[in-house]
Amino acid sequence: MLLGIDVGGTFTDAVVLEQAEVVAQAKHPTTHANVLEGILAALDKVLTEDMPAKLERVVISSTIVTNALTENKVAPVFLAVMTGPGMNVSGKFPVEPYYVEGCVDHRGKITAKPDWQKHAALLNKKQSGVCAVSGKFAIREPQQEELLADKLRKAGYSKAFLGSELSGELNFVRRTNSAYFAAAVYELFLDFCQKVLRALYQRKITAPVHILKADGGTLPIQVALEQPVEAVFTGPAASVLGIEALAAPNMNSISLDVGGTTTDIAFWEKGLPLMAKRGANINGYHTAVRSFHMRSIGIGGDSKITRLAEGGYQVGPEREGPAAAVGGAVATLSDALIVAGYVSFGDTNKALEALRVFGGDPILEARKIVQAAVATITATIKEMLTEWAKQPVYTVDDVIKGTEFIPEQLIGVGGGSLGLIKAVGGAMGLPVDIPKGAVVANAIGAAVARPTLSAGLRADTTENFYIIPESGKKERLPRGFNKQIAMELLSTWLRNETKSWLLPDQETELISYEHFNTVHSYWDSGDIYSLRMQLKPGILHKVAGKEVSF
Amino acid sequence: MAKDNLGLVFFPAFDWMLSPGHPERQERLLYTRDQLEEEGLFDCEEIREYRPRLAQINDLQRVHIGVPKIEKLITPAHLTSAGGCLVAADAVMRREVKRAFALVRPPGHHAMRVVHGIRGFCTVNIEAIMVEYLRSRYQVGRVAVIDTDVHHGDGSSEIFYNDPHTLYISFHQDGRTLYPGTGFPNEAGTPGAWGTNINLPLLPGTGDEGLHRLYDGLISHILEDFKPDIIINSAGQDNHFSDPLANMQVTAQGYARLADKLQADIAVLEGGYSVESALPYVNTGIILAMADMDYSRVVEPDLSGLRPQDPRCNKRVDELIREVGDIYFNREKTQKEMLAKCRGVFSRNKSIYYDEEGIRETQRETVHYCPHCDGYFTISTAADNTRFGDQNAFISVIPRHACPHCQAAAKDEALHAKRMQRYQYVLIQHVIDGYIEEV
Repeated sequence: MLLGIDVGGTFTDAVVLEQAEVVAQAKHPTTHANVLEGILAALDKVLTEDMPAKLERVVISSTIVTNALTENKVAPVFLAVMTGPGMNVSGKFPVEPYYVEGCVDHRGKITAKPDWQKHAALLNKKQSGVCAVSGKFAIREPQQEELLADKLRKAGYSKAFLGSELSGELNFVRRTNSAYFAAAVYELFLDFCQKVLRALYQRKITAPVHILKADGGTLPIQVALEQPVEAVFTGPAASVLGIEALAAPNMNSISLDVGGTTTDIAFWEKGLPLMAKRGANINGYHTAVRSFHMRSIGIGGDSKITRLAEGGYQVGPEREGPAAAVGGAVATLSDALIVAGYVSFGDTNKALEALRVFGGDPILEARKIVQAAVATITATIKEMLTEWAKQPVYTVDDVIKGTEFIPEQLIGVGGGSLGLIKAVGGAMGLPVDIPKGAVVANAIGAAVARPTLSAGLRADTTENFYIIPESGKKERLPRGFNKQIAMELLSTWLRNETKSWLLPDQETELISYEHFNTVHSYWDSGDIYSLRMQLKPGILHKVAGKEVSF
Repeated sequence: MAKDNLGLVFFPAFDWMLSPGHPERQERLLYTRDQLEEEGLFDCEEIREYRPRLAQINDLQRVHIGVPKIEKLITPAHLTSAGGCLVAADAVMRREVKRAFALVRPPGHHAMRVVHGIRGFCTVNIEAIMVEYLRSRYQVGRVAVIDTDVHHGDGSSEIFYNDPHTLYISFHQDGRTLYPGTGFPNEAGTPGAWGTNINLPLLPGTGDEGLHRLYDGLISHILEDFKPDIIINSAGQDNHFSDPLANMQVTAQGYARLADKLQADIAVLEGGYSVESALPYVNTGIILAMADMDYSRVVEPDLSGLRPQDPRCNKRVDELIREVGDIYFNREKTQKEMLAKCRGVFSRNKSIYYDEEGIRETQRETVHYCPHCDGYFTISTAADNTRFGDQNAFISVIPRHACPHCQAAAKDEALHAKRMQRYQYVLIQHVIDGYIEEV
């Protein structure tokens, strides 16, 4: 038995799955002031007496981190960076960093060591709170980052987040911001996790508790505490997983999850959602937080309709709702969809009456309103297609083959989906698939999410070492090193890591591989291997949806 | 904050090399890629990333005549690096960005108009292809190409040698000490274009000081006088003190400050083979400078190989400022004298060596001047030991804006050559649309 809880903008949903079937589900209004309250209320609605013992896992997708970050209710963070030569990073982070002069080059060689005497004023003073530390190319040689973190902990910081521990990928600015935001939400997230664990314990739930991440994976709560920033933007992630659980489109698809306030758009290839190539943006800063290639736009069934002075309409981003057809005070997008004939629910006459405020023939106006919403959505999809097509290419082969995403169908889920998605499909000339959708798709997505973990390995045979940045360890190369051995080393590390999380063994797969011969003064000097592997992503199993949204 | 100052086409061609261990190998831009990614440059609002496209054959043929055919001499990698330059040109001309940098390989500045094979790591001249594209697609007139590679860009020089609308300036390590052995001040152009081909051979060991002395004392004045519509930088990076193929002493700061002063509209990567110690830093510096960002912190971590500049280097710079300044600023007078002397027809013989393949080519180029247009020219070429055996050709080149009389005369010469039956191939190059007509 799996329990999933999703905290949304309007409702907090709980769902219990058994053998791929929804056996219990509940909704409770989200309690914004105290998120935990709503979680427990929804939980208590689905919980039966014999359930705690049968639960295998609890997954929580909460807005706690997202809200803290977007509302900027975070703790102050001391940020220390070792930039070495390069771009001036002033203004690239939420706070002005403290500079330490240590430096590592692109091959992972230490080219300058910090002069600790210079930093005596910082290190000898009694400090408190959390700190973040980040060095350029620390993923190729983490020694100096670790040393600085140690010294800061000794100076009194309760916790230090290291850029190289939060991401093993190149991009110093993004790793630094990840470390900063992780530190910023740490205490608040710790408090939340402790309360969740206590509340579950009181309800006799002893199953492992996982936190959903922005990339749709889960982390055991103890591990999540080491990278709390990963728990940002989990709402859209849960939505994507919900679609995967309900539909798992096997052709190139674009999914639209139309809610009351927003529509989440994601791309799908071979049954898997596409990931964003770099990381998520938090408060305008680039981070290394992995997330889906997706966008949320402020158009939903309850969206407000505004007549523009120059003619035409704007739909959203404010929410009005509920629709007049179901007893609301003013017309919303849903009313326009009903009148224009895309859907039928509620009282059509009420919808028609509500649209009369815009003058003219309500049916004609309804069509114009739907067109305006469709135009905004298709424009966003086009931008996403262009953005995807512009991803960098490094080989001639990729230039010739191209990496464009060509959609073959649309998939619609969510409360207000049916009508709007039909209209978008019509405008884009694409067939539309509406899977039997549960109204708690997000909670289902959370319930069946799998742990995700990816890691890189870089080996330099000239320097005779390899490093798995995520592990922070630099090791000598074993004899006869080659691609096969590299893959075995990395795969073993990934599987050991999952084992240490008390998770079932999972298959790994190669996601990128580069190999270069290096040459020094005209002669072959060695090889550079660089690869990334991950636990096979996706969901635990597909779920048969019972409830249809309309 | 300023946005989209620089369009960046980064294409490291990780699946292209000339041969294993060759300076032009997959590894060349690996560390540069790592540095740019690690800096987070692709995330900067000031920088907009573009991906290359494949150039078309007629884009190449506005410049080149391949013997027997250009298609048989290139690989898709060449179409991609040339296409990367075209993307950079589009980005600037459509005003999507202020400037653009095509950080692409393979390079091109040793490739000449007629192509029998690979020379100096180059098969097609990606800057020249871009220049002719700018003219055909965007009606750009006056172009200045500043070649900052340590080697004389003899391909670019040869292509623009008879083109008074293109100012080609190359500073490089003295040809008596380095490949390709050319690029002296007296190679200043054919009579009709005399003084628009500027060669500045520097003494080995010249560093930032000498380079900027030359720029401030001469190059900036020439550019100011020529008033180009567009400035292109052939951004070779092998003047760096750590380059294994040359002997200069320029640093990343020296290159970045030069990029800052030059304010080129479009830069195109050329050579630079200190792949680990120079390229990551020089490229970061050039990118930051072109994007109007702070580049003052781009300093190589290891400056131990940097030697102070010998006093003789500045002396040479001062001589060049005088000597070449005279050539350039008196060029119109000299042109008249030379044109009067040659009476409308000027011929030169060329002996060209393709170092990569051991091909020896001899050429005779004859320029026919015309009072109504830029005239036309013909090339007869014979090359030994090419991939296709020994081969020869006669080519009539019809420049853009050629008057009807010159067009007819160029065609007549081709027909005459055909009737003589001395050539395997008789071809007419139509520069304006990149069409090569087989006669």
